[in-house]
Amino acid sequence: MIASRLRSAQPYLLSAPALLVIGLLFLIPSVYNVVLAFQHLTPYQSPGEAEAAGLENFTDLWSSGDLPHAALNTVLWLTAATVVLRLGIGLGLALALESPILRRWRLRGVSRTIILIPWMVPQVVAIAAWRWILDGSTGVLNQALTGLGVIDQGVPFLAQTSTVWWSIIAIIVWRELPFVVMVLVAGLQSIPAEQYEAAAVDGAGRWASWRSVTVPHLRPVLTVVVLVTVIQTFNNFVYVWLTTGGGLGNATAVLATELYSAAFFDNDLGAGAAIGLLMTAIMAIFAVVYLRVTSTKGESR
Amino acid sequence: MFLIPFAVILLVILFPVIWMLYSSLRPVQAISQGITWRTVFSGLSLDSYARLFEQTGFGRYLPNSIIVCVSGTVITVAIATLAGFALSRFAFRGRPAVMLVLVATQLLPFVVLITPVYLLFAELRLLNSFAGLIIVYVAITTPLATLLMTGFLNAVPQTLDEAARIDGASTLTVIVRVIAPLVWPGIVTVGVTTFIAMWDEFLFAQVFLTSDSLKTVQVGIAGLFGEYGTDWGVVMAASVVAALPTVVLFSLLQRRLVAGMTAGAVKE
Repeated sequence: MIASRLRSAQPYLLSAPALLVIGLLFLIPSVYNVVLAFQHLTPYQSPGEAEAAGLENFTDLWSSGDLPHAALNTVLWLTAATVVLRLGIGLGLALALESPILRRWRLRGVSRTIILIPWMVPQVVAIAAWRWILDGSTGVLNQALTGLGVIDQGVPFLAQTSTVWWSIIAIIVWRELPFVVMVLVAGLQSIPAEQYEAAAVDGAGRWASWRSVTVPHLRPVLTVVVLVTVIQTFNNFVYVWLTTGGGLGNATAVLATELYSAAFFDNDLGAGAAIGLLMTAIMAIFAVVYLRVTSTKGESR
Repeated sequence: MFLIPFAVILLVILFPVIWMLYSSLRPVQAISQGITWRTVFSGLSLDSYARLFEQTGFGRYLPNSIIVCVSGTVITVAIATLAGFALSRFAFRGRPAVMLVLVATQLLPFVVLITPVYLLFAELRLLNSFAGLIIVYVAITTPLATLLMTGFLNAVPQTLDEAARIDGASTLTVIVRVIAPLVWPGIVTVGVTTFIAMWDEFLFAQVFLTSDSLKTVQVGIAGLFGEYGTDWGVVMAASVVAALPTVVLFSLLQRRLVAGMTAGAVKE
């Protein structure tokens, strides 16, 4: 009797440590973040000294004018632009990797390893390497462009508003491309060869077999890739923080850097929590709408 | 036909890493002077690495990172193996809920929780200590590690642990003596994935560790690029050192790691 009860408790005991750390770091802070968003608190006070703030944190964020701008930067430049570029280039590279020519010439393994390299490099290191390449005076890109006579003097790529976002986008796409390529390659490999053969028997050309076999098979994979990369990039802090600090006026401010600055530079933990809550809400709404749209598209086919 | 643009893209992908390595070996005057064809390979040396360890705190940051990431990885692998065993071997009532929590935390990014976690750890007096950062890193990596471990354990036939049980072995004995030796490759894969995630982490290391003597490698690099007069030779040397462990581990286990990290996206 006791033995069997012990045995039924076992799975819970075994997963208890995992649930404990997840509870401590995800569940409790998630709930506390909601409370904190409606309070005034500095890092030098204990949580007990917090004052009720009502909606002030949110109204202050709105009226300061920086937040809508940061939200726009986050959605358009940081997320949409880099995700679209990653999908486009990633699909091209995945199709190239799976092409028979590379296999015949035994170039597949080398190409695959080269494509994977940026993924092996830590994000901070990727940023450092690119900051050096893009450096306004002695960076290699500027030296090459002046050497070729394209420009007369060095362009401070990361320090002027007209080039800064394209520079950040280049860094993000470079570092985060391999994941997209590898997932798409795995997706392409999961398509049974018979389906292409059947399409060929039916007289389908390249374009027709792409439309009738490849695209429908890749759709579910693409759906997940977009969801994962959008959520990760939307919340990314490092790329903007370590290139511009979210500065250049407010040209490069994004939500994650605004959260960090509010909480740890302006010492306004309530404002930081409010931005965090807002970010969670935006991503939750995105996920729900996105999954609904993509699943109904699948049904109508 | 597409091979030419393909090759160009591969070169663009490769260039930053080659340039990083090359710049870390060039003499300091040459870096500020730029490049001419005659001086491309002249005077290459390890000077920048010497300056890195003599003039910056990197000699401390490196062991700091190793301590945090190795101990964190050991803890995460242990926790994930236990939980993975429960999810793989028992059909318990809470199982769907546990799986849901594991998947959901994958999609809940930590950045949005930095403020409450900071306050919580301040109350627990865990700021500015390795212990605090290790707990955070274990929590960040546990969900994925557990999901991966469950997959590896599902591949081990249950008959083996049942046989050991009939011989009177306890669950922990079964896991340590029977299961662990069999899923060893899986444990290594989970361990390496976990280590890389911890090694690369920046935000929490930056917020949690304020005293210079505790900083990790990634935070150390970020501190090296000042606004003006950055010694790029040193920054590139630091970058090479910081990238070395992950590049080596990743290369050794390339196929397994890629399969593990992309599996979720393809299966669902």
